[in-house]
Amino acid sequence: MQVFKAFFRIVNKNKMPLFMYIVIYLALTLIIGSVMEENSQAEFSGVSLDIGLENQDQGSLGRGLEEYLGTQNQISSVPEEKEDLQDAMYYGELDYVLVIPEDFTEKFQAGEQEGILDGRAVPGSSSAYLAEQEITGYLRSLSMYLKAGCSAKEAASWALADMGRKAEVEFLEEGEGQGMPRGFYYFQYIPYVFLILMILGVGGCMNTFKEKDLAARNKCSSMSFLSQNLQIFLGCAAYMLAVYGIFMGMACLSVRDYMFSLQGAFNAANAFLFGICSLSVAWFTVQFAQNSQMLTVMSNVFGLGFSFLGGVFVSLDLMGEGARKMAKFVPSYWYVAANEEIQKLETFADGGKVFQSFGMVLVFSLAFFSAGLLVGRMKVKER
Amino acid sequence: MFFRLYKYSLMRSVRDRMTLFWSLIFPVILGSLFAVAFGSYTDKEVLFHQVPVAYVQEEGADENFSLLLETLEKDNGLVQVEKVTEKEAEKLLREGDVEGIFKNGIKGGENTESSRVKAEGVAAGPESQLGGGVLEKSGISLVVTGQGMNQTILKSVLEQYERTRGTLLKIGKERPEGIAKAAAALEEDFSYLREGGLGDAASNSVLDYFYSLIAMDCLMGATVGLMCAVEFKANLSPLAARRMAAGTSRFLLLWPDLAAKVTMQFVYLIFSASYLIFVLDVPLGDQWGFLLLTLFIGSMMGVVLGFFIGVCGRMAYPVKEALCIMVMMVSSFFSGLMIDGIQRFVERYVPAFARVNPATLIAKACCSLNIYDTYGRYLENMGMMLALTAALAAGAFLIVRRERYAGI
Repeated sequence: MQVFKAFFRIVNKNKMPLFMYIVIYLALTLIIGSVMEENSQAEFSGVSLDIGLENQDQGSLGRGLEEYLGTQNQISSVPEEKEDLQDAMYYGELDYVLVIPEDFTEKFQAGEQEGILDGRAVPGSSSAYLAEQEITGYLRSLSMYLKAGCSAKEAASWALADMGRKAEVEFLEEGEGQGMPRGFYYFQYIPYVFLILMILGVGGCMNTFKEKDLAARNKCSSMSFLSQNLQIFLGCAAYMLAVYGIFMGMACLSVRDYMFSLQGAFNAANAFLFGICSLSVAWFTVQFAQNSQMLTVMSNVFGLGFSFLGGVFVSLDLMGEGARKMAKFVPSYWYVAANEEIQKLETFADGGKVFQSFGMVLVFSLAFFSAGLLVGRMKVKER
Repeated sequence: MFFRLYKYSLMRSVRDRMTLFWSLIFPVILGSLFAVAFGSYTDKEVLFHQVPVAYVQEEGADENFSLLLETLEKDNGLVQVEKVTEKEAEKLLREGDVEGIFKNGIKGGENTESSRVKAEGVAAGPESQLGGGVLEKSGISLVVTGQGMNQTILKSVLEQYERTRGTLLKIGKERPEGIAKAAAALEEDFSYLREGGLGDAASNSVLDYFYSLIAMDCLMGATVGLMCAVEFKANLSPLAARRMAAGTSRFLLLWPDLAAKVTMQFVYLIFSASYLIFVLDVPLGDQWGFLLLTLFIGSMMGVVLGFFIGVCGRMAYPVKEALCIMVMMVSSFFSGLMIDGIQRFVERYVPAFARVNPATLIAKACCSLNIYDTYGRYLENMGMMLALTAALAAGAFLIVRRERYAGI
């Protein structure tokens, strides 16, 4: 097993960048997983807006409006500088900015209601619609009380009480709206790191064996060509298993309960199949890379390309129709599709769509492997 | 001599395939991937669209709610109502054709299956204040599958209805004589809010990724700047050793080289930015002159940064190259190339770093051209970029001046 041993000696030599990718990946997925989990809630709470509010009014109506908006939104003060305000709205720190003018109570009581408040929002945004609907609803109740002959104080307190009435909201199925578990996020970004690790790791070794002088020296050795290739193949498989093992081990440590559930088992299988696929992609790309610089280029192009197109980094739901159709031509799409379907599974028998995606990933593995063979053959013939 | 050396340096730069890839092709690939991934983000996540909703009405149910939905659909364009049976509605909701189902049952009746999860009941507070009980319920409920902005808008529609009902009931109880006037007030249609806009670009925070991409492309110049240093320091390359031994001052050989590298980087950047603007249709603004100036200063800063790293210390070339790439990637990361909002996060918690991070300065300069109607922030960032470039150039000059080699 000389060649097999040499394979791992080369991996050992290139270990630093590989190790770096593993550490960065694990740190990022753990952070993303815990941040996303905090956001998931079992009850319908809806979207709460960040409203910048400046109340110049001394009357009870302005105070009532301020109190009402504060019941379900986060209220903060309006930045003094115009540029700071634009910054806050640009970065989504404020969804809406409302200024209640000093004569609000008097004007409202006098019936001057058109354009009485000063509102600012990102034009045409959903949050602007929501904020305006809430403000209009409150002012309408207020106006009704005032018209009915109530005092300003009564109107403000009764309108505020009315605003406490909640709508009856249900989820269609139990468990909806709860967000994804941490395990989902751990596995979501696997395609990116697997592709990079396979292309850099396997590619680095294969390139060494392909080096002209070394290849010539190996060809005239006593070891048969078949045995050499088999050992390289074994080396690749063992490397893939080692990478897979590290990630599953870390998964068991960070999302232990998830890993020992039905979802965890399916996710482990999904990641294993994608490991095979990444290995095929690495085999294919290595045919085009003559040196380590080209390998870095290839790993970035394939890693980032497949991840962006396949919906690894940005959810498939956010992509346009055309992009989603195109995504079906990359293996990571099927990995992501399987990952999403796995979260809906209750029993092993429900896994129809998941198995379909598994099949597609395997088909892609075969396609890349065959394409790699073809390119390799053509290059040999060229010589 | 300057122009001859400048010309040859340009020709050598064009033939460097790796630089060509990283400075020219990689940003184009990454930009295209961003466009594919985020192309519909603003449209789907930020901008408002009529919310499709299914409406199921039982016989004898509250007719007023149907009228309200009709008004909201025809006059306000807030919702798009589809009147269907309960089964059809659930099918539409499961398939994602509607965002929710309004179920209008008989007043006070319980129209939901017990297996379903009641996410939020009718609040106890106002009910008790109204002396309410089952009769106070309108019998209308909303069924959803998630809790995003559209679902919240639908919830808000139902809530406004419940609240107006509550107001009328309260007036009926406390001031029955004023109920007619109150009902008349309901008919009046005021727009209470006077809008002040913030400019169209304010709705497109996805642009940050593209600004960071431009910043990264500028900093790619660091690797070519490093090449300049390698060809300048005699302990780093045979060419530099040869130059050291020449009769001409080596600084006279350096200027054309640096100028050629900045020129090439600038040309690559113009190409990448044009690709983003004209092919991918990314709205980077229409202030071409200022944008070009930013790209030029950015490429100058990138090249000088690489040159500074190259002349610092006695590390081998691969180590310095790795250092250049690390500085470039870390700087781009904190300017928001990989995670949305990180730039703002750094600005809030480590403002000093945000003020000197090269990629953040470039991204912010481009961004400020688009969002502010004044040039204060733009000039501030550009000034900082120039100061940083001057500091790096001065530092590099101090390190290499009067450098002599006893042996290599």
